[in-house]
Amino acid sequence: MTVPVVQISHLSFGPVNKPILDGISLELEAGHFLGIVGPNGAGKSTLLNIIAGLTPPNSGHIDLFGRCLTRFSRHKLLRQIGFLHQLHDHAPRLPMRVHDVVAMGLANYATPWRRGNQNEAVRKALQYVDMEYLTNADFRQLSGGQRQRARLARALVRKPRLLLLDEPSAALDSVRQAKLFQLLRKLCDDTGMSVIMVEHDIAAISSHVDSVACLNRKIHHHAMKGEDIPEDVWRAMYGDHIHIMAHDAHCIGCSPTSEPDHAHGHQHE
Amino acid sequence: MHMVINMSDLIFEFLASPVMREALLPAVLIAIVTASMSVMVMAHRLSFLTVGVSHASLAGLGLAVTLSLPLLPTATVFAVFIALLLALMPRKKGISDDAGTGMLFAGSMALGVLLISTANSAEVDLFGLLFGNILTISPVDLKWLYLMSGLIPALFFLAARAWWSIAFDAVTADASGLPVSTLRLLLYGLVGLTVILCVKLAGIVLTAGLMILPAACAWFWGRSLFSLWLLSVLFSLLGTVTGLIWSYTYEWPSGATVVLALCALFVISWGLNWGKSWANAYKG
Repeated sequence: MTVPVVQISHLSFGPVNKPILDGISLELEAGHFLGIVGPNGAGKSTLLNIIAGLTPPNSGHIDLFGRCLTRFSRHKLLRQIGFLHQLHDHAPRLPMRVHDVVAMGLANYATPWRRGNQNEAVRKALQYVDMEYLTNADFRQLSGGQRQRARLARALVRKPRLLLLDEPSAALDSVRQAKLFQLLRKLCDDTGMSVIMVEHDIAAISSHVDSVACLNRKIHHHAMKGEDIPEDVWRAMYGDHIHIMAHDAHCIGCSPTSEPDHAHGHQHE
Repeated sequence: MHMVINMSDLIFEFLASPVMREALLPAVLIAIVTASMSVMVMAHRLSFLTVGVSHASLAGLGLAVTLSLPLLPTATVFAVFIALLLALMPRKKGISDDAGTGMLFAGSMALGVLLISTANSAEVDLFGLLFGNILTISPVDLKWLYLMSGLIPALFFLAARAWWSIAFDAVTADASGLPVSTLRLLLYGLVGLTVILCVKLAGIVLTAGLMILPAACAWFWGRSLFSLWLLSVLFSLLGTVTGLIWSYTYEWPSGATVVLALCALFVISWGLNWGKSWANAYKG
């Protein structure tokens, strides 16, 4: 029996009378690609931060790679996790080349005396995001999308067993977005890496991921590939005033009568 | 030609003076240590911390005078304590970093002045404390200086990459398993130590100049983290040696002259950089 990469049980966060996350249970196998969708303020980023060990939950239990995540185990466990958050410094000040930025993601970057040859790993990570030609460019001079791809390479360079991504496609154009999702799919299939990705656009991710979790304080639904997300789940997440339409029969969660992509734009009150 | 001879004469005369020869090594050591730390001070936006800690050290010195404790060790312990206190001060309760530092800065300066003025002040060279005097460095101070200029760079090189990671992106550094809060405490503590080290050269008031200016100059030219550090050290050495030569030649106070030399380097760097981008803009 293989040990799940992530096992979360009965996790809660926030004040008891007004929790931000409530009774979350989730299990992730190696090679699984999970998308998390939900409205603004649903607790998606908070959940990622808790899994990344940045915020301790108020109650509940998290196992990573079969070991309990605690204050003491986190430093070791986190070495096997790649993390891309949303709070980027939009005016980076440090003079760094793209190569150096990516190298910062290596698990032993801070302990250079234990370092082997890193150049190959950095080159490969940059290759994943098509940025090899910018290896020696000044990070401060890059565009927002290029910086985002460099950060992604930084998260990938340590060959993580688990990758946590908070809206990785935010600064990317739609072609880059599709390429990113294809890359993640391929890495999951080829290397057994698992991915938890928070995204807004369910239609864009659904043909790439293995499952989608609908989160708004609780996990309202966890749909596997080929499964529909019932309309009442959308209503529970976004309120009664959503307008559901569909035009893609292949996406997870949208049967011909529902189009959750539009749901996000039609959330009233 | 005349200028060149004049300059080499100055250097020769400077090196011929035993007082200056003695001051040169400590000044150079201080320049290297402060320049290294100044890069981190800039990267982590701790400029105001250096101002705060250097001024707070006056209270430490006042305490040492009042209780007849050894000056430098007491001031050191006090400065490190203050720096760590600022690192641990809760940021979320409405006290921002700069406000906290400002309060501490004023409060401990006031305490220091009171303590020193009520103590038997004949033995305290207040002017020297405030503005520095590298020429009066004692053998005990020297030993302390050698110890620190071995310890601080050693810790610096062990922690440098982790500190860069935190300066670049603290959240990711935390999520990648670095002990961020411990590393931050270490950084604040070392900044405190470094400040005390350069109080001897530049005094309480001018120390911030040594802790900020070298890296500020280097920031115009550095293209990588390593070149940033190297340039900072070179600028610092250039400013310190030039400052000492001037101070010897014109009999100016040493600390102030060194800081002014560094300011001159900063203005020159700024001007050249501005000129370069201006030229680039018009070429294209």
